[in-house]
Amino acid sequence: MSIEKDVVSRAIKGDGKAFAQLYEELFDKVYRYVYLRVGNETEAEDLTQDVFVKALEAIGSYRWRNLPFASWIFRIAHNQVIDYLRKQGRVEKVDFEDDVYPVDESSPAQIAEQRIEAAELRDNIKKLSPSQREVISLRFGAELSTAEIAEALGKSAGTVKALQYNGIVALRKMMLGNRQGREDGRYSE
Amino acid sequence: MEDILNECLERLFKGESIETCLNAHPEQASGLEPLLRTSLMLRQSTAAIRPDAEYKARTQYQLQAMFYDRHEKVKKEVRIPVWQRKWAVALTTVAAILLAGVGAVAASATALPDDALYPIKLAAEQARVALAFSDVDEAKLHLQFAERRANEMTEMARQGKSDEISTLTEQIANHLGKLAVAEATLGITKEEPEALAPPAPALPEEATAAAAGMDTGGLEAVLSQSRAMNLALLEEALDKAPEELKPALEEAIDSLARDYDRTISIIEGGSS
Repeated sequence: MSIEKDVVSRAIKGDGKAFAQLYEELFDKVYRYVYLRVGNETEAEDLTQDVFVKALEAIGSYRWRNLPFASWIFRIAHNQVIDYLRKQGRVEKVDFEDDVYPVDESSPAQIAEQRIEAAELRDNIKKLSPSQREVISLRFGAELSTAEIAEALGKSAGTVKALQYNGIVALRKMMLGNRQGREDGRYSE
Repeated sequence: MEDILNECLERLFKGESIETCLNAHPEQASGLEPLLRTSLMLRQSTAAIRPDAEYKARTQYQLQAMFYDRHEKVKKEVRIPVWQRKWAVALTTVAAILLAGVGAVAASATALPDDALYPIKLAAEQARVALAFSDVDEAKLHLQFAERRANEMTEMARQGKSDEISTLTEQIANHLGKLAVAEATLGITKEEPEALAPPAPALPEEATAAAAGMDTGGLEAVLSQSRAMNLALLEEALDKAPEELKPALEEAIDSLARDYDRTISIIEGGSS
């Protein structure tokens, strides 16, 4: 994720336009990441707002040399989500709402199939291990690079790549399992 | 394999095709392809998760208000204890909308149409209207904001910035138009929902065009016409308004008349 140092510096100094630029660049990604972690729109909205309020409070103490800005923001987001899930006593349990689908221009049948698979795929994220889920959410939801994820989570880049690989392999298997289940269901009808 | 998958993902995210990546790693292609296809689907699936546009805009406004609030406080070197700051942060989100006069929003309170903070001022006003407790409160707010626009109009005229004046007259008319709409739901004019006043008519095109052309004679015409229409509208509203709204209407009539007269006088002075 390319966030200009200059924009961050100006935001720290009180430039409202720079802050708006950061907001525009990051807001959807933070929301998407949080949504993938908590699986609920209302909670994702509240938590995303909290992330930005915290970032706003702390932006004065941010120093680029220690951490890329995107990693810094997502470290805040990660901590917020962990705190929230811990308070809720639901570190593992995440039930996604199923009203968000990608838009495609394929045939109606294909679209229906893709929607089912997309919903299943997103739903399957909750079945990953917590570490895999964290990395997959940051990689695909927040669109961070593995280096940025490593910085945000305080892990090595190698560990992040391994978690990413294992997570995608696990999701692939689950997707094939879901597909097989649908096929079996059709034949048994 | 972990490194190759990551490298291919980077390329996919930059817009390259799966095939390009497989061609670059023919030996791993068979194992890589299904993972890349799953990744692409995952990417598309997650990209469809988007925050509600209204929530996003509302949050941006609140955060922007907090942002300005913080920096205004820093500028004034106000030292607030940590526990108070925490409370302030917790409350600013609400306060920025409810009060439109605290901190950041306060910073915009004196903003004029050509100031960077002016949009914050207008946004704060809109938020206050949206959160008005009753139709009477909403009507009072529209009156108050129409007066503000008239006041700004005078100030812009003083500064010789006549570009903004015709826009401000439209905004005044807009507020008074909304006043009519708000009052239509007050319930005190049961026999005729439109008993107060209809929305303020738009300015004649030729007069607006003259104003846009910076011709002071045209601008005077716009102002005179806008003054007549808006004051007539308010007078009509006064006849039919509930008692609790009458003081605000009377004050608005005085205030608007005064500001229109001052502005016209300044414009006349500039043209003579």
